[in-house]
Amino acid sequence: MIPGNRDTRDGILFSLPFMIVFALFMVYPLVFGFYISFFKWNILGTPSFLGIQNYVDIMHDEKFWSSLWHTVQFVLMTTPVLIVMGFLMALLATSHSPLKGVMETVFFIPYILSMTVAATLWAWIMQKDFGIINQVIRLMGGEGVSWLTSEKNAMWSISIATYWWTAGFNMVLYTAGIKQISKEVFESATVDGANALQRIIHITIPLVKPTTILCLILQVIASFNVFGQVYVMTGGGPAGSTRVLIQYIYETGFSYFRMGYSAAMSYILFVIIMAISVIQYITLGRRDS
Amino acid sequence: MNARKILARAFEVALILIWLFPLAWMVITSLKYESEVVTRSFTFLPENPTLYNYLHAFSSTYILQWLCNSLAISIVTMIATFILDAPIAYAFAKIRFPGRNILFWIVMAGMMVPFQVLIVPLYLQFNSYGIINTLSSAILPRLAMPIGIFILRQFYEGIPDALEEAAFIDGAGRFRTFARIILPLGKSAATTVIILSFINAWNDFLWPLIAINDSVKYTITVGIANFQGTHGTEYALIMAGAVIASIPELVFFLIFRRKIIDGIAMTGIKG
Repeated sequence: MIPGNRDTRDGILFSLPFMIVFALFMVYPLVFGFYISFFKWNILGTPSFLGIQNYVDIMHDEKFWSSLWHTVQFVLMTTPVLIVMGFLMALLATSHSPLKGVMETVFFIPYILSMTVAATLWAWIMQKDFGIINQVIRLMGGEGVSWLTSEKNAMWSISIATYWWTAGFNMVLYTAGIKQISKEVFESATVDGANALQRIIHITIPLVKPTTILCLILQVIASFNVFGQVYVMTGGGPAGSTRVLIQYIYETGFSYFRMGYSAAMSYILFVIIMAISVIQYITLGRRDS
Repeated sequence: MNARKILARAFEVALILIWLFPLAWMVITSLKYESEVVTRSFTFLPENPTLYNYLHAFSSTYILQWLCNSLAISIVTMIATFILDAPIAYAFAKIRFPGRNILFWIVMAGMMVPFQVLIVPLYLQFNSYGIINTLSSAILPRLAMPIGIFILRQFYEGIPDALEEAAFIDGAGRFRTFARIILPLGKSAATTVIILSFINAWNDFLWPLIAINDSVKYTITVGIANFQGTHGTEYALIMAGAVIASIPELVFFLIFRRKIIDGIAMTGIKG
């Protein structure tokens, strides 16, 4: 220890401003939200203590289960496709093509738009009567499809808009992963007579595995948190068939003002996301090492 | 050039065009009159291109105000994030103080918290402060997010201690060393943090939707999302609004393209 060392004082001084904000707007609401979840809590009127009643009610709430199921559907519809798309785009963006830079930029551009712009745009493209997809289908003699207004199609339509909007994000992660593979590995494989497809299967895919794990974990979390696309494109309809969990949490809290119940659901979602992340991390990470 | 190469280029060009098509369609629709848009006799390009929808959007909606709100929120968030994050990132990287590691892990655990867990308590909290429905209510929760600290700390750790020690020997204090040596050396990490926090604030949706209910004070994302509710079938107008909302983002992207992509790659890989 140097005499006159002020590390302790400096450490506290430099940390303090952020820690105050962090305590106020992260730690406090996190604890307060958990506390609220044990109450019947409306904006007006006095909160009354319920114990774990909110959690018990949620377990018997059909709307909660259907919203959770829709969310899981969305996760399953988007995650594998987005991982594969991101990887294929990254292959193009790291290829020898003179267009690789253009492709990287173009594939990434939708992600830079705010999600509500992307969703509004796709709601128009998929509009039943005048949207361009159905107009073209009709020009070719087919019949227009109810992209957003049929229970069968709506979630797929939202997924398609999501592919366009966010695949570029995964591409960026994969591009960085592929660039980290040393050139010699590819060169020696080429010398040994491996063709492009063999190089991708036997070198690129195994060596970008850490990126795949990362993409998978981030993508599952992001898809579980889906809300905006649904809010803009279908509003949860038709007949509640695309209502996702965050939307139900939002409506319960801010349309019906059942704050306690809403908070309890958000904690359940938190636990689900944490559990899935940890399981993915352990199972995928283990096999890797 | 052999046939195979031509085929490959053609395929790539097709992909590029497909990917850009929705954007082009947004612009094309916005240049048509409403009557041309809502008709079954389909036209691809506008028969009489018009800027009417843009004028209409500016005069009959608050879109200009929403852009200003989003800009104000994003700029304040970006500056405040850096002012809060840089010192603590430096402390985590270079200052040996008791409790540092525990504090670091607590802050990093904050990255795991999904935002929707905070919406109800934050709303009640802000309601009791009386700041619901103000722009500051949209800004404050963003400042508690630790991603910037993570990026900056990573960078500051790579700065050799010898540089700092030389400054200490010359009699410079902590603050001076931080301001004169660490901050200038960490410029590239700082730009990354600033750009990412700007984009995240600009694209924020769920929280501004809840925190702000006065349509004049909407952010652009919330304003656009509610367009369909208020302007129903005026698709040309809605697309003009979408174009207006996208321009600042696209300009920002074209200026900082490399920085944005590298920033995402870095936070993704190292996060």
